Amino acid sequence: MIKRISVLFLITCFFSSCVVVKEYEKVNINDPDMVLSEKKCDRNVTTMHSYREAAVGANGGKTGGGCGCN
Amino acid sequence: MNTLKYFLLICFSLTSLVSFTQQTQDSIQVYKKRVLETTEIDFLTSYYNQDGDNAAVSGGIGTEELTDFTGRFVVSIPLNDDDILIIDAGVSAYTSASSSNIDPFDGDFADPYQASSGASGSDLWANFTGNYSHSSDDRNDIWSAKFSVSSEYDYFSVGVGGSYTKLFNKKNTELSINANIFIDTWNAIYPRELRPFAEGGDGLDDELFKDNTITGNTNYNPNFSEFDNEGRNSYSLGFGFSQILHKNVQGSFALDFIQQQGLLSTPFQRVYFSDVADSFIDNFQLADDVEQLPDTRFRVAIGGRLNWYLNETFTLRTYYRYYYDDWGVTSHTASIEVPIKITDKFTLYPSYRFYNQTAADYFNPYEAALSTDEYYTSDYDLSEYSANQFGIGASYTDIFTKAHIWKFGIKSIDLKFYHYDRNTTFSSNIITAGIKFVMD
Repeated sequence: MIKRISVLFLITCFFSSCVVVKEYEKVNINDPDMVLSEKKCDRNVTTMHSYREAAVGANGGKTGGGCGCN
Repeated sequence: MNTLKYFLLICFSLTSLVSFTQQTQDSIQVYKKRVLETTEIDFLTSYYNQDGDNAAVSGGIGTEELTDFTGRFVVSIPLNDDDILIIDAGVSAYTSASSSNIDPFDGDFADPYQASSGASGSDLWANFTGNYSHSSDDRNDIWSAKFSVSSEYDYFSVGVGGSYTKLFNKKNTELSINANIFIDTWNAIYPRELRPFAEGGDGLDDELFKDNTITGNTNYNPNFSEFDNEGRNSYSLGFGFSQILHKNVQGSFALDFIQQQGLLSTPFQRVYFSDVADSFIDNFQLADDVEQLPDTRFRVAIGGRLNWYLNETFTLRTYYRYYYDDWGVTSHTASIEVPIKITDKFTLYPSYRFYNQTAADYFNPYEAALSTDEYYTSDYDLSEYSANQFGIGASYTDIFTKAHIWKFGIKSIDLKFYHYDRNTTFSSNIITAGIKFVMD
């Protein structure tokens, strides 16, 4: 598991050194729908998932605390 | 465990120290764009309902009917060019048929498939979170610290957290680390019929058994004791990495480690043993015990997002997460959302999400646990299942904020609906709405 994560991380770092998108080219990247997190109005949906499902984390949502549900 | 705690404490200390140091360095006056131009207010609300036939409160059978209404304000205030204070406060009011059956004997007829009229059938959850963030002059370093408090009738939680984000490669690459600690306390409530069997209780001489007739095994004598420790602590450490891969594509990875310790069982969730004769009052089976779960849990989640701006109309948003914990649960989550820009102001959000999980080692269906087991639960949220979620939403955005309420312009309005369906009897629906205001 740790090995796989390390390899994935190194590959991604390799990609990062190849691409540099300049500020004036980031019009599409800066579109609100391109944000790399959930929209605020989906927050209660993520909370509902954290109550009803065993899995939490890696999604910007709750990782514990605040409720006896998980 | 202790190593992780010490590591988190060191992370907090370093984050705080570096933050203060950076504030001094930032005193050199240079032109810079404000991190946040003006105060923004988000009002978020949702209405949620669920139903199913596997309530954990009644040992894996009975109604899971629940409705919840949540309202929340998130106020983002620019304190100066570099610093933002975010105040996040919300309340959630719910009514739950299964929770009402913590005491199913306060009505005319006890039945796990019927809600009781007891006070435990509704509750109010309130939460307050304050978040302070500071950005460096070149906006390549961001520090944040947060504090949270939340409370409901039988649960209280205090949390602190901090994060550090580093941008480099001309802001094409972002690395982040975050740590959170939650110190929680239960005010444990136990099933009504078990309370007389706690230390110092009256047993079968309790008025519950005088007012009601036990059927089935009339010699009801559960081996029950209250939990000694009502605290629950959660420690999380998270790492993030995001990368712009192309002028239309970007992705991210997140890796979270979570350690929990303390009372991880829910004190009012019943368990029925297969090797103990059944006792009833009316149609309601009397508990043999409450769920017993280990007092530690280590959880790991790794997730990735990939977003692709296909053209001026379509965007592709994808997400995948793998989850593992030492209770025997592994899980996969995958979702896709395709925002469709109908006009420059209106966007549609169709989405689909798939989720599955394996059962926890301690899960037993109704009446399947053994009294000789050390750990057991009949909480179907810890069972093996898969779930599909379908969603549709619409968004209105006006970057010029022409519509106003007092001094605030409406920047965007979001409305979404999701239907969630497990391959068991459980299903739920949620409607969420959000309005973003920007101060003039």
